[in-house]
Amino acid sequence: MELSGADMVTEGRSYKESAGSRVLSREQLVRRLSVATSSNNVQAVMRLLAEYVGASHFLLARYDLIQEQGLDFIVTSNWPFDLVRRLGSELASGYARSTELEKCLSLLTPSFALLPDDVVPPDDISRQYCSLTFCVGKTRFSLMLLFLEGVILSQERLKEVGLFAAYGASFAESADARTERDFELTERELECLFWIAEGKTSDEIAVILGISRNTINNYITSVMRKTATKTRSEAIAYAVRNNLV
Amino acid sequence: MGYSRSGTADGPGGIQYLRLQRASSRSDIFPKLIAMQKNLKARNFAVFRITGAGLPNKRKLVCELENWGNGAAENASQFIAGYGEALLDHIELSLLPLIWNGSENASFADAGEFASLTHRLEPKVVPSSGIAFPVRLGALGNGYVTFLATSMELGSDVIIDQHVRSCQVMMDLLALDERRSVPAESLSEREIACLQLAGDGRISEEIAEKLGLSVHTVNAYLGSATIKLDSVNRIQAIAKAIRLGYIH
Repeated sequence: MELSGADMVTEGRSYKESAGSRVLSREQLVRRLSVATSSNNVQAVMRLLAEYVGASHFLLARYDLIQEQGLDFIVTSNWPFDLVRRLGSELASGYARSTELEKCLSLLTPSFALLPDDVVPPDDISRQYCSLTFCVGKTRFSLMLLFLEGVILSQERLKEVGLFAAYGASFAESADARTERDFELTERELECLFWIAEGKTSDEIAVILGISRNTINNYITSVMRKTATKTRSEAIAYAVRNNLV
Repeated sequence: MGYSRSGTADGPGGIQYLRLQRASSRSDIFPKLIAMQKNLKARNFAVFRITGAGLPNKRKLVCELENWGNGAAENASQFIAGYGEALLDHIELSLLPLIWNGSENASFADAGEFASLTHRLEPKVVPSSGIAFPVRLGALGNGYVTFLATSMELGSDVIIDQHVRSCQVMMDLLALDERRSVPAESLSEREIACLQLAGDGRISEEIAEKLGLSVHTVNAYLGSATIKLDSVNRIQAIAKAIRLGYIH
């Protein structure tokens, strides 16, 4: 997956020099990040961050696309391709294993895990990999790093890197100019969902919003149609899971 | 993937474990904020959280912690009136720190080399200059940790450090809230199973068949779960169960 854009060539050279002699200082990092983000080059940002923290490979994934087929969930990566493919299913199952609250409480917290037994990491790369999550807007991202055998990553630096990666993703997200992923539900429909999740009945919502009960029920039916859900309960569960209410 | 507590991940036990290492009351968070304020050479801090979940027109900022002293309520409402909208919009798209210049004489905030990684708000809207660190945890507990001063000159080191610590502060706040809202009795396995299936769109009859119970029993389980979750009906119970992490 090693893409070599024109900008990569010039910048790539300077890293190699500095990587051998000294570790990138924060000031240098910030200066270079400014350049990379101004051209909205997420890959260059990640490359810088991997170097700063002492990792050999980076992979940035977005969780909202992970359930779907294919590798669309990968924002940028320089991991070996077979590893990336193998990790897709790992990620999906890992994501389902923890609750939203636990995810909220583990922001930027690095965790270490072993690569699946059936994959062979490149030479000298540790089987252990590091991952941490951060959120930008409604999207949760995971940053995963591979590193050389024997390298110990600093917890503090990992957290910083997570935050810097979030900055990088912020530039990309802002450039996307508000991709509305609200599943095209209208404001009124969202309002109804919000009150239902608070335990209000159609009659109560009718009073709150000052419209008729039948209108409310129509909104809800339309929500269930749009979200392909069969019952009210499922529609609410869907809305809560997708952070719509 | 990198999930270290797989053994205890599903039950409330997993959450229990998380709690042990965190602040036990809001008074434990205060000194952390004071330390951050000193690092930034700021005069005051204020922590705002976003309530009203996903509804665009229901979202608003609430001041959770501050050290403004006497004029606190006034200061908070002045700040929210001035920058509330901008802060709410910003966190929907970006995690870059916000900085602004105040309207007081010669009040300014400068981020030096870090400036390109911050977003500047319209100047002279509120009296003090300041910096706001957005923290996006996910579905819950999002907000800003803000610091105010007459003037601020900030280096990269101090900004990134305080932003990392701001994230910790918001996680501490959420962990505290979560503990308060945990149901008095924890849900039984059967109750959780019924809630999960109901959330997946099954009607009581289907749940009964699937679990080998009678419809009345299923309804009773859903009823008792609703009471334990302090909800008025099963729909609210499902919403709360997802938010608290009992079901997926």
